[in-house]
Amino acid sequence: MENTENIHDVSPHERIEGHSEEMHIEHQAILAETMNTEDAEHIIDEHSAVVEHEGETHDLVHENTLFAEPIAEVAGLPITNSLVNTWVVVLIIVLLSYFIRKNVKTIPGKVQNAFEMIVEGFLGIFDSVTGSRKVSLKFFPMVFSFFLLILIYNWMGLLPGVGSVGQVQVHDGHNMFIPYLRGGTADINTTLALALIGVVASHIFGILTLGMWNHLNKFVNFKAFMEIPKKVKKDWTVLIVNPIKAFVGLIEIIGELAKVASLTFRLFGNIFAGEVLLASMSAILAFGLPIPFMFMEVLVGLIQALIFSILILSYLSMATSAEEH
Amino acid sequence: MDSLIEIFHIDAKLLIAQMINFAIVISVLYFFALKPLMKVMEERTKKIEKSMDDAKRIEEKLEKTDADYKEALGNAKKEANVIMEKATAQAEEKREQMIKKAKEDIGAIINDEKAKMQAEKAEVLREIKKEVAGMVTASLEKVLEEKVDAKADKDLIKKIVAESK
Repeated sequence: MENTENIHDVSPHERIEGHSEEMHIEHQAILAETMNTEDAEHIIDEHSAVVEHEGETHDLVHENTLFAEPIAEVAGLPITNSLVNTWVVVLIIVLLSYFIRKNVKTIPGKVQNAFEMIVEGFLGIFDSVTGSRKVSLKFFPMVFSFFLLILIYNWMGLLPGVGSVGQVQVHDGHNMFIPYLRGGTADINTTLALALIGVVASHIFGILTLGMWNHLNKFVNFKAFMEIPKKVKKDWTVLIVNPIKAFVGLIEIIGELAKVASLTFRLFGNIFAGEVLLASMSAILAFGLPIPFMFMEVLVGLIQALIFSILILSYLSMATSAEEH
Repeated sequence: MDSLIEIFHIDAKLLIAQMINFAIVISVLYFFALKPLMKVMEERTKKIEKSMDDAKRIEEKLEKTDADYKEALGNAKKEANVIMEKATAQAEEKREQMIKKAKEDIGAIINDEKAKMQAEKAEVLREIKKEVAGMVTASLEKVLEEKVDAKADKDLIKKIVAESK
């Protein structure tokens, strides 16, 4: 109220004249950025609020950036807001694990019962993917860790305060609002790290169970060429089939990269899009309108966590089975 | 690729930090939560399986014991019946034997007595005859008074004796 009164006091005409050119340039810059869709570094979802500060006007830009903003730097490591959030999540999981460790009993309590139910349910789903309880149990800790971590990352991004409490930093002449916390999976570094771990782990498991030679031959198929002389007398079609097999193996290498890319961008895209959607909805009408979308995002968070972990599981079981296809 | 890194601010340090996060989560979750939990679950499964097995065994045992008991009881009854029958039969036999023996004894005693009586009777008769003969001789001597010659005497006695017989 005081600010607006002040504006009126200092003769609006004068003020606008004094800063009109500056404002104009700023507006153009923002327009240029938003228009440039190819290089859409900044997605503006909320209006730029005009704030009067010591007689000057500045835009306070609320935007959902595609990347996580650093809020501090420690020994060369940029502490981004999503990194902080992931640490919170890790802490939660550590505490949960500690609680379970302390209270684990043969006759389960409520928490243990719920946890056991989840574990049993997952083992059931895993069995349908891997085809055997033994394999499921082997991959269970890893895949379940993926699931739990991603689920809590996703849901932590939806909590009130995450993305809405922050500080104002000056970037390129703009007053940028930088939230202290950002959903862990709304940062490509997180999703890429998880995808890399998953895919690399599938290769490690593949080498451990099948041996280096067998695993390598899935991609660079020496075997296919080596068995041509043996088989060619029986069946001359190996002359055509085996080079094709070798070529398919080479395509598999690209497939592995595609796995990483698809895992990374699927998770990141879904969660980031959810945040943008929620921000847009609350910009239209902050009361009531975002609620159904919030429910949807809770569901999306669960589904994406499930998809990610089940995909990792299928990659793991595929890599450890003797023959692809 | 560079523009991708530029747009999304992909940072090797952040990647490593996130990987460390995951490493912490998987190790803590595995060693603190999943491992003991799985162990407990497995133990419980085993325990339940064992107790169910035990229950089954106990039930079987009980059934068997019951059957054994019934069989033993049946056998005992049968044996008892057999023994009873035998005892009855033996008792009957003994009784009959005793009766028979008693009859025989009685018969023997009666026969003895009869024989004795007959012997006595015969004795008495003989004595009576002897006496009668003496008396007759004496009375005849007296009656006749006169002595017949020895030869006539003898004939007469014989005649009387034969008549008195």
